[in-house]
Amino acid sequence: MSTMNEKITEELRQKARQLLESGRVAAFLGYASGSVPMVMRPFVARTPEDADRLEWNSFCVLNLANYLPALLKSFEPPRRPNEPPPQGPLPKVGVVATGCWSRNMVVQIQENQVERERLVIIGISSRGMVDRKKVQALIAHRDVTAVKEGDNTLVVAGPGFEEEINRWDVVRDNCKSCVHPDPVIFDDMIGELKGERDLPDRFSQVEEIEALSAQERWKWFTSEIQSCIRCYACRNACPLCYCPTCFVDDSRPQWVGKSIDSVDTAIFHILRAYHCAGRCTDCGSCESACPMGIRMRILTKKLQKDVLQLYGIEAGMSVQEPLPLTTYKKDDPQDFILTESLKGEKK
Amino acid sequence: MNETERKQGEWEPKIIAFLCNWCSYAGADLAGVSRYQYPPSLRIVRVPCSGRVSANMILDALRSGADGVLVSGCHPGDCHYISGNYYARRRFAILKRFLEFVGIESDRVNFSWISASEGEQFAQVATEVTERVKRLGPARHLVKEF
Amino acid sequence: MTTPRGSVLVVGGGIAGVQAALDLADSGFYVHLVERSSAIGGSMSQLDKTFPTNDCSACILSPKLVECGRHLNINLLTLSEILSLSGEPGSFKVKIRQNPRYVDVEKCIACGSCAEKCPKKVPDEFDLGLDTRKAIYLRYPQAVPLKYAIDPEHCIYLKKPGRCGFCEKVCPAGAINFKDTPKEYELEVGSVILALGFRPYSPESLDFTGYKRLKNVVTSMEFERVLSPSGPCMGHMERPSDHQEPKRIAWLQCIGSRDINRACHGYCSSICCMQAIKQAVISREHSASGDVDATIFYMDMRTYGKGFEAYYERAKAEGIRFKRARVHTVCPATGDNLRVRYADEEGKIREDEFDLVVLSVGLETDPQVMRLLHDMGIEVDADSFAETTCFRPVETSKKGIYVCGALAEPKDIPQSVVEASAAALEAERLLHVSRWTETKKKEFPPERDVHAEPPRIGVFVCSCGINIASVVDVQAVTDYAWTLPGVVFAQNNLFTCSQDTINQMAETIKKERLNRVVVASCTPRTHEALFQETLREAGINKYLFEMANIRDQDSWVHQHDPEAATQKAKDLVRMAVAKVRGDEPLPYNSVPVTKSALVIGAGIAGMTAALSLADQGFPVTLIERKDRLGGHGRKFFRTWQGQQVQPYLDELVQMVEANDKINVRVKTTIEEVSGSVGQFKTKLSDGTELEHGVAIVAVGAESYKPREGKWNYLYGKNPNVHTLLELDQRFIEDDQGLSGLNQAVFIHCVGSRVPERPYCSRVCCTHAIDQALHLKDLNPDMDIFMIYRDIRTYGKREHLYQKARAKGIIFIRYDLENLPRVSEDSGGLKLEVRDPIVGADITLHPDLLVLASAVRPRDDVGELSKLFKCAMTSEGFLLEAHMKLRPVDFATDGVYLAGLCHYPKPVEETISQAKAAASRAGLVLSRDAVPAESITAQVNLQKCTGCSVCTQVCAYHAVNMDPNTGKAVVDTGLCKGCGACVAGCRSDAITLKNIGNEQLMAAVEAAMEDF
Repeated sequence: MSTMNEKITEELRQKARQLLESGRVAAFLGYASGSVPMVMRPFVARTPEDADRLEWNSFCVLNLANYLPALLKSFEPPRRPNEPPPQGPLPKVGVVATGCWSRNMVVQIQENQVERERLVIIGISSRGMVDRKKVQALIAHRDVTAVKEGDNTLVVAGPGFEEEINRWDVVRDNCKSCVHPDPVIFDDMIGELKGERDLPDRFSQVEEIEALSAQERWKWFTSEIQSCIRCYACRNACPLCYCPTCFVDDSRPQWVGKSIDSVDTAIFHILRAYHCAGRCTDCGSCESACPMGIRMRILTKKLQKDVLQLYGIEAGMSVQEPLPLTTYKKDDPQDFILTESLKGEKK
Repeated sequence: MNETERKQGEWEPKIIAFLCNWCSYAGADLAGVSRYQYPPSLRIVRVPCSGRVSANMILDALRSGADGVLVSGCHPGDCHYISGNYYARRRFAILKRFLEFVGIESDRVNFSWISASEGEQFAQVATEVTERVKRLGPARHLVKEF
Repeated sequence: MTTPRGSVLVVGGGIAGVQAALDLADSGFYVHLVERSSAIGGSMSQLDKTFPTNDCSACILSPKLVECGRHLNINLLTLSEILSLSGEPGSFKVKIRQNPRYVDVEKCIACGSCAEKCPKKVPDEFDLGLDTRKAIYLRYPQAVPLKYAIDPEHCIYLKKPGRCGFCEKVCPAGAINFKDTPKEYELEVGSVILALGFRPYSPESLDFTGYKRLKNVVTSMEFERVLSPSGPCMGHMERPSDHQEPKRIAWLQCIGSRDINRACHGYCSSICCMQAIKQAVISREHSASGDVDATIFYMDMRTYGKGFEAYYERAKAEGIRFKRARVHTVCPATGDNLRVRYADEEGKIREDEFDLVVLSVGLETDPQVMRLLHDMGIEVDADSFAETTCFRPVETSKKGIYVCGALAEPKDIPQSVVEASAAALEAERLLHVSRWTETKKKEFPPERDVHAEPPRIGVFVCSCGINIASVVDVQAVTDYAWTLPGVVFAQNNLFTCSQDTINQMAETIKKERLNRVVVASCTPRTHEALFQETLREAGINKYLFEMANIRDQDSWVHQHDPEAATQKAKDLVRMAVAKVRGDEPLPYNSVPVTKSALVIGAGIAGMTAALSLADQGFPVTLIERKDRLGGHGRKFFRTWQGQQVQPYLDELVQMVEANDKINVRVKTTIEEVSGSVGQFKTKLSDGTELEHGVAIVAVGAESYKPREGKWNYLYGKNPNVHTLLELDQRFIEDDQGLSGLNQAVFIHCVGSRVPERPYCSRVCCTHAIDQALHLKDLNPDMDIFMIYRDIRTYGKREHLYQKARAKGIIFIRYDLENLPRVSEDSGGLKLEVRDPIVGADITLHPDLLVLASAVRPRDDVGELSKLFKCAMTSEGFLLEAHMKLRPVDFATDGVYLAGLCHYPKPVEETISQAKAAASRAGLVLSRDAVPAESITAQVNLQKCTGCSVCTQVCAYHAVNMDPNTGKAVVDTGLCKGCGACVAGCRSDAITLKNIGNEQLMAAVEAAMEDF
């Protein structure tokens, strides 16, 4: 009896192969295993044979949307900056997408970074991906040589040990608090849509911080980012970060100092997160990519919470719905405006 | 309110105030024309519209050592540029909550609507913001120490 | 008429004359502006503050004067008088004599050395004799032209050549010319505008006031000078006898006005109530301790203008005392104090002691002006004002000669400005075929390319007289400016906006090869344009300029903290220097003008505006939401002067319909507006899209109908209760039933001056009294009662009030605490009200009750104002760009307003305003292109990701995606420079020219630098 992931892998390979064989797509973006256990790498299948290397398991943590713009571009004929785009349809790319990745694709479509008609999206409803760091913590950071995945368990093996752990215990925080596991746009599905999850405490991680005093929050924030080495792995893993010149690299104006001084680092994290306001789908790539284990996702989660609470919008749920910071309502909440709150006090 | 009472040597915060040209800057002018007195803590930066002010500008003020920031624009519906203040309102609402979340005190970063005819209100807001920032003391979180 | 001249003579250099001159000169006519004294500015330049905004009079006036003085198409003739006038409309011949100044205006640098040395002191007429000046003098510090003049009446040398002559010796410029002689000019002009203003009534003959006998009795104009920072007391409020600050001040209203018993003037001078309240408010601000006890003795408080009633209420709330009483004597009391004896409302004689008494003197026509009018053949009325009629409010008895300002009737500044524009319009209408035939074109020198130069910044620090210098150590700020990086020149000036300083600034820019300029003075909102033009004249791009606001936002708001204010001024200068360093030269953009107008609302205002433009050859689309033309005017019987409105209106409609330049669309409203000045695109409710260069909003207002609530008075319940307009309807229909009535009662202020509608409706007092008089004409035996709060028959309308009293109409005052009570009593009406003079209730049984109900703004004005991006007052009327000096412009360029949507007003003022709006619109329509925004957004293609946030937040559709590059592109013609796109862009890929992130950050960082 094969596991759910094995079945998905099988179906995925088959669908990818068909797409490549039929020439409907020029490439198919998925995952393949790497040399290190618990690390899946994004993989572009370009031939029907390549499709057999595709794999699906609980370690597919890097957001594939991040690679789409470049991959699509690689199939466009080269042209000079002012040259009109080529006539006729351009080659398509197939991609596998869960809830959050598909929502990032929606944002990319809204922000003109990818074109919907050039994507063939194979949807998979997510069961949550595993946080490698959580696994390592559970096994006291011993070396891992192999991981065997069951439907609800992981059997982790290394030199002189083999332990079975409950999969859900090591699922990433973002996946645990995810209410939208289903892809919002797709051309084909593997498996069934699961429907929305009902999670009243989805923002509990954020609420814990909110409950602290300003001083305690500053202490939390600075200690959280203290180990940051400004490697920008978080930024690089993020499908929302695609500026040709990132603000951190800009010198005119210099928005943020380039050192790992605590103030520079703080401003970097504030600005990086703020740039994701109203756009972030909480895919968790940033945190998964961070070599230092910084939980910067809480920052974007806070933004996500406020945008939802204030404007009733979650990023990427629909191509038609404008992104929250590019629209407004005349009666948007404004109790934070001093002149309004003073008015209230007087009454 | 009455700065004749301000004691010699008492700490006076520096507050960067981004004021939109059409309403709040004119309101600040009117405060002067009407001789409404307020503490000498504000350093006013004239911008065309509150919608011109980005999160980066506000952070830059704090980074440069401002003890507080005030952004003021036209009342909703009065924007000289139709809707600049509506977009700004969303941007600021999110930013203010976010800065509070990472530990920047709520009273450091302030927003207001002040029209061209609200000289007195401008003086009140300037006074209020100054008092709030004074209570917090100098801002150090985002200022590099050399 | 053969081809008329393209030039106009404007007589009188006060605010009205200056406004008329500017409107004409800016729309294609050459103007000769004749002024009797040595400088323009008129009475407004003598005022301290202006109501109801408390704007500094000189500050708001000064830019206009300077503009006038520098205007290429205004020939300023000071010290000049009209000798004769002949000819006909389109071609008048005018003889002018210009008296000698004895100072060469080309050479004088206004350094003041001459006046310093001049040994002859004479009373200063600008300070109304409260101070002295020398025989060589400058009329006032911001005088335009800023040139000294020798007073030949007093000059020792001119009286006896050979003696004195000190001025000639000390003048560094060699400007003194004792041999100067009168010059005579003969000008040919197409039209003449008379803006000769007024003179304040002199109360010398009113013995009861003690004026001239008692030192501490001054007139209101004298008190303006006392309060003025440039006046004899340097802004320190002092009383004449001992130069002590008065603690108790009384204002006596109606001195020389509303007074037929003492052989003064019967008319109301219109402005004195507000002036007194303003002075009371300002006197408290001037007082060191702030505890001035201010009392205003008045008959009726006439705060009938926009924002006036709120000002009055604020003054009351601040503790200014208002005593409804007529003073019968002012007598000496202990020391130099004064005892004021008056009868209160109950008739009891009372006495109060004051330190100073201010006589609110009226306005009257100068006898010299009377002679001039007589010589020109201009008819004057019984009050010695130029004769006009309600339907032709700016036309004199002589065709081609127009009048504006207080020469036709006492009036405030905005109404004078409105009439000035209206008079200009009449001249434009007469001479339009000769537009641009006599004008000169402004040529600026080519601009120096400063791109490659390192910044050479000049800083000019203004003292603004004492406005800045009395608080901020301007010398220290100037010295500090020298130390800032890039600054190669810094200087302190007494008045940076004065013409000589401006000229000198231009010279300095050239001499020092400045390529950036900072002026630390007042607010860029009033003075930026003036200084920017100076840069252009000096051959550098005008955008290489910044202002540091060290007055409105510094010295004025930190008056008691000179040290901190000086520190702040230094910071502000440092910020401006940091910002200007990054400023780049910008192109001067322009937008071609669609030479047609859209007029919204076809009432009297809209039709008048439409005709005013169409007669000049500009196509007009006139839209009206109802199915016929006429608007609110359809409901009026007659003007206060007795002219019937309906025949006039019929004629107006006929003219509009017959005019082939006017496209009338009834039952039409506006759906959408896009574009901006010169190029509006408007979608109408009938689906048509209209292109037009300007728009005039004249949508009117409504009459309040008190169907419910406190002000109901059985309206709608008893058939004999009417509003004013409903009674007018009966007059129009010549209702015979009216003459049979025995008793009519009018209740005033129904729904006006009440908490929910705190403004005065301006028109109802006059309207009600005129109706009462008409009823008296219909039936002389009819008993008529006026239940009123204050009678506000301002100006010449006061004569109606006098006539009503003479005819036995009875006036009973009420207040909000004692409202009249109306009930039904055996089928008839019963009205009870407390009579404050009798001190008891009286009961009336009217068979006609007329409610003088409020004029209220239309509910849909808000929607319209949003379409055109115009502002509204809290009361719901449309808000002009500036209450005093831009009364018919909106802050949005190319959109103007007229009529009741601005504020309640009578027909004559509506007509003036409509013509003024047309004149202002003509400034745009007369040109092929109008200047467009230079500060526009700019895309950095290297950084742009094409995410389209900018296109979504742009309200003007000025940023779009280039389909080829997939990146943003800015349409500079549409871009308004708001910067929404800049703040929205995460990639820093779009910036605002000269207001870029880097520059704002430089300013912010500079603010925080320690030193």
